[in-house]
Amino acid sequence: MFEIGYGSDGEVMCSGRLDAAQCSKAQSFMDEIADARTLDFSRLEYISSAGLGILLKTQKRLAESGAALRIINVNNHIHDVFRYSGFDAIFDIEAKRE
Amino acid sequence: MQRDFPRNYDSLPAIYEFAEDILAQNEIAEAVRFPVHLAMEELFTNMVKYNPDCDEDIAVDVDVDGSKVTVVLTEFDVDEFDVTRPRDVDTDAPLQDRTPGGLGLYLLQNIVDRLEYEYHDRRSRVIFTKESG
Repeated sequence: MFEIGYGSDGEVMCSGRLDAAQCSKAQSFMDEIADARTLDFSRLEYISSAGLGILLKTQKRLAESGAALRIINVNNHIHDVFRYSGFDAIFDIEAKRE
Repeated sequence: MQRDFPRNYDSLPAIYEFAEDILAQNEIAEAVRFPVHLAMEELFTNMVKYNPDCDEDIAVDVDVDGSKVTVVLTEFDVDEFDVTRPRDVDTDAPLQDRTPGGLGLYLLQNIVDRLEYEYHDRRSRVIFTKESG
C-alpha cells in the first residue's frame, strides 16, 4: 500500500511502500508538482529503484525552472538507499530522528 | 519455503507478505529484512521487465539459517542475463547527467552479501544471501 497527498502546510506526505507496483500512482501525483516542494517521508517505510526513478525525473524537471524537491524525515533504510545511489548529493535530504 | 508468483508487478505485495511471514517467524532483524525485500523486488521486476514474452511463473524460495537469509528466484524459458555482471552506474554524476533507470541491479549488488547466477536449459536461478552483523 502506498499513499501520497498534500499535508496541511503544502508538503507532500508519502506513506507505505513506494515500489514498482505503485509507480503510476506516484508518478501521476508528482507530475502535477510545478514548484519547489518538501516531501515528508516520515511514514514512508520503503522505496526501491522504481521510486527513485520518479524522484529523479521530478527533480530534473523542476531544476529546469530553478526549483527542487526537499525530502525530510527519511528513515535509516531509505537513507541508505539514497546514499548507495548517490541521491544524497542531488537531493536536499533530512534524516528522521529515530 | 518456495512459492510461485505470476510474472507481473501486481505480485509484489504477495511476495513481500510471503517473505515477511518467514522473516518475522525467524525473528530476522529489520536491518536485514529491508535489504532482502529490496533485493527481491529489484530481481523480480527485472525478470518481469526483460522477459515480457514469457508467461511462466517465477519461483521464489526463502530460507533462514540462524541470522542468514537465503533467497532464490528461478524463472523458466528465458534468455541468459547475468545479474552479477558489474553495472556501469555513475553515482557521482550531477543531476543534469542522471537518467532514470539502471539503478536496480546496482543497488542489488551493493546491498546483499553474496550474489550468484546460474543458467542452464533456459532456466535462470539467482541466489542471494543477507546476514545481520
